[in-house]
Amino acid sequence: MLRNTKKEWLIGYILVAPFVAIYGLIFVYPTIDMFLLSFQDAPLIGAGTYVGVDNYTRLPSDRRFDTAFWNTVYFVVLTVIPGTFVALGIAMGVTRLSGRIQSLVLALFFLPYILPVSVVYRIWDWTMNFQFGIAMHVLDTLGIDRVPVFQTSTWFMPAVAFVTIWWTCGFSVLLFLAGLRAIPQDIYEAASLDNTSGWRTFRHITWPLLWPITALVLTIQLILQLKIFDQVYLFSQGGRPNDNLVMVYYIFQRAFVNNQGGRAAAIAVVLFIMVIIIAALNFQLMRMSERRK
Amino acid sequence: MSDIVLNSVSKSFGGVRVIDGISLDVPSGEFVVFLGPSGSGKSTLLRMIAGLETIDEGSLTIGGKRSEHLAPGQRDVAMVFQNYALYPHMTVRDNMAFGLKNIRMDKAQIARRVQDAARILEMDALLDRRPAQLSGGQRQRVAIGRAIVKEPAAFLFDEPLSNLDAALRVRTRVELAELHQRMQSTMIYVTHDQTEAMTLADRIVILNNCRIEQIGSPMDVYLKPASRFVAGFVGSPGMNFIKAELSGEGEQQVATLGNGSKVALQIDLPPGTYELGIRPEAVQVSQTPAATTGKAAVVERLGDRTLVHLHLDDGSALVALDSGRSQIRSGDTVHLDFDTTQLHLFDADGIAHHAK
Repeated sequence: MLRNTKKEWLIGYILVAPFVAIYGLIFVYPTIDMFLLSFQDAPLIGAGTYVGVDNYTRLPSDRRFDTAFWNTVYFVVLTVIPGTFVALGIAMGVTRLSGRIQSLVLALFFLPYILPVSVVYRIWDWTMNFQFGIAMHVLDTLGIDRVPVFQTSTWFMPAVAFVTIWWTCGFSVLLFLAGLRAIPQDIYEAASLDNTSGWRTFRHITWPLLWPITALVLTIQLILQLKIFDQVYLFSQGGRPNDNLVMVYYIFQRAFVNNQGGRAAAIAVVLFIMVIIIAALNFQLMRMSERRK
Repeated sequence: MSDIVLNSVSKSFGGVRVIDGISLDVPSGEFVVFLGPSGSGKSTLLRMIAGLETIDEGSLTIGGKRSEHLAPGQRDVAMVFQNYALYPHMTVRDNMAFGLKNIRMDKAQIARRVQDAARILEMDALLDRRPAQLSGGQRQRVAIGRAIVKEPAAFLFDEPLSNLDAALRVRTRVELAELHQRMQSTMIYVTHDQTEAMTLADRIVILNNCRIEQIGSPMDVYLKPASRFVAGFVGSPGMNFIKAELSGEGEQQVATLGNGSKVALQIDLPPGTYELGIRPEAVQVSQTPAATTGKAAVVERLGDRTLVHLHLDDGSALVALDSGRSQIRSGDTVHLDFDTTQLHLFDADGIAHHAK
């Protein structure tokens, strides 16, 4: 049968059209609009006046932007690498188990991931509550002074980072577990016949063979944690939001609290570029690891 | 180089017994092949020697040292895996050197051993490649090289040729035989391929149902199989089996086949019903009328010889061997002569008795 190429093209276009339309409407169009908005002095809704790069040039001297930028970097450092290692550690432990116990333990580690952020917030807000949180009782028994964790600038970011790792590492554990299972068992058997100690097995077999997965987990975590907002917003309530600002929180403040759409858009563009640069670097990193093979 | 002694070793997985009280003595420098169908326990037995499976009962001695409780790396054995199990992220050189680095061998010595192994296996040019850049045959060499550099007491091979194509398998088989002649090391080799077993082994250990059926030289096993199982498993094409009724006096016996034809043979057995076994090469196509005739069903021409699949009058099947230029065609009636010195009778328990 001869293929009617024209007809096939048409059917193809018709089939992808709904997706392209929705994608264009709720992603491409707002993104372009955001870029345009970032060059205007504009409220959140309504027309603005063109001001060139003013919204960008004022960022370096903006104290709140400074706080938001460095807090975001700090948060990423506190979550991404420790979270990846915690997930790897848990996955290495879980993979040693077998049968139902393995499923049960895995389910327990995965459980927090399915919780909505508001529930996560409630659980940890109560746990760390200065008066009656159980964490405080632990501090009491250890003889350490109680700390109002989410009201103290020093402890705020580390605590939110800890909660975030607890909340999201289940997914990374799953990825690592799949990666560990993909390493053929006979390679470990060969290593055991090669007199390889436990540490050297990890260092020279597991770690290098797992590197593509590790790079993937790092990338996902990086992009996810750069966009941190919900946890910081919730835990800041009753605390000191201006000290705890992160990028997305600051965008939220400028746009929805101060009604400065143009300035918010400029910060959003900066974050957008940060994410793209980091994603590109990560992609290079992964390609390098593949070429090594 | 040293001997390996297994003393009534057993192993169970859960409630299932997979190795049942096996005792075996492999003298230093011998090439022993574990031959058996899948599920016979041959790989498990090898892995028990390597230390990759625990030994539930019994003892294992390697080079005079009790080894059943030692970790795999401390048993002084090297293993070549079916899927090679090379470290994919390391170069060929590092693959071979890894085990030596682990025991903190001095660098110059490692380099020397790797060079020597590469020279023996003719893979000097491959040392800086990674496994993904090698063909199946080359990976196989690296796996063997990784074993050689350790200079182990014994080499263990777990179906090492089964992933190679037919031509390469034959070539590598010869190379393995040469390697054994050159190194004179103890080698234990697991396979389900009886050609590999016949060609490589000093002694074949035939395993079936978790136990040893027979231990012997390849020709012993081929000419005097100990049981119905061994007779059927070794040899290609397989031995013919026909129901036979034995009658006669003393050693002078007559076996009456299902189709009524009689075969005289010398064997010391009481009369009764037996299974008669005869290899295809002992069933010759006769140009003159003979006692047994059959009808050719399928004629397989292999070039150097011809396999004739026959049906006797009573329907029992038989394979006969004829010369490569055989004129027999499907449907022909064929006269058959049996070489009566190559007859085997199997009793109800499957025990073999050989005609004289």
